[in-house]
Amino acid sequence: MDQTEALNVEARPERGKHKNRRLRNSGRIPATLYGHGKPPVSLAAPADAVDAIVRRGARMVKLTGAVSESAFIRECQWDTWGMRVTHVDFTRISAHERVKVEVSVELRGESPGARAGGTVQHLVHELEVECEAIAIPEKFSVSINHLELDQPITVADLELPDKVAVLTPAETVIVQCTMVAEAAEEEAGEGAEAEPEVIGRKKAEEEEAES
Amino acid sequence: MALMPKRVKHRKSQRGRIKGDATRGNRVVFGDFGLQAVEGGWISAATIEAGRIAAQQYLRTEGRLYIRVFPHKPITSIPLETRMGKGKGEPEYWAAVVRPGTVLYEIGGVTEEAARLCFTRLAHKMPVGVRFLKRRPV
Repeated sequence: MDQTEALNVEARPERGKHKNRRLRNSGRIPATLYGHGKPPVSLAAPADAVDAIVRRGARMVKLTGAVSESAFIRECQWDTWGMRVTHVDFTRISAHERVKVEVSVELRGESPGARAGGTVQHLVHELEVECEAIAIPEKFSVSINHLELDQPITVADLELPDKVAVLTPAETVIVQCTMVAEAAEEEAGEGAEAEPEVIGRKKAEEEEAES
Repeated sequence: MALMPKRVKHRKSQRGRIKGDATRGNRVVFGDFGLQAVEGGWISAATIEAGRIAAQQYLRTEGRLYIRVFPHKPITSIPLETRMGKGKGEPEYWAAVVRPGTVLYEIGGVTEEAARLCFTRLAHKMPVGVRFLKRRPV
């Protein structure tokens, strides 16, 4: 289950991209807190602390400093390289409020189908669930120790904790093991057109031929 | 067989410019590990195919390879020893326009070590600098 992390934040009176760029260069990142019908608050949080919290998979934080409230990490913005968090959205939340959240799916074990020459295909990496804010599962661990060839594991097969409802359709295949034939090398030029069809051109040419 | 669009609106396109970093297609979505471009450029259909073959020969039937870029852009050229003028050249090949940060390939169903080895082989085929990328936390 999800643990609540403490995060010290400070008020952020200055807004705009230039100010926020300077803020990021000083080792902090911009954040915002909203929800529960109260006005939004612009905050600044230490980049290292936020990064550590996000990488640990925590969703609930106890904000201290400029505000003192429980908050849920609604969304993180990352840089192009996926290395640093550049902005965080917090929403005000009470402990037993139900939230919709995406939870990652991990595979464990070794599939007998893979030993028989099949390929394990992990098709769904995240599931959307609805649960209480204090009871967000850290991840779903799916055992593939009994995954045979062509016998997929679907969302319906998952063992869910109490009070957690999966919003992803039950028939969605999470993981399957299939035989993948080695792709035969296609002969170059076989059935290949030299150029793609140009939309509208064929019609114009036919009209010309008719006239 | 190299990738190519089935239908296009226009046979030829202007060169264009590659401005800024990738804001879309810059995270691992389908597999577990990805190969991310650190430079911008054009990657020809033949190069994409060469990369696919290099990876597939390493992977064999293990794991799954995803190609995340598609060559939408026709690149024209004029024949050698041709005088200037007489209009734009004919389409020579197709290329994918890649901004820094674009994920080019992804691999799923293999260990990190295997994925790293596979992408090392694949990276030799790429005309742009690349880096290994893991799935981002949710």
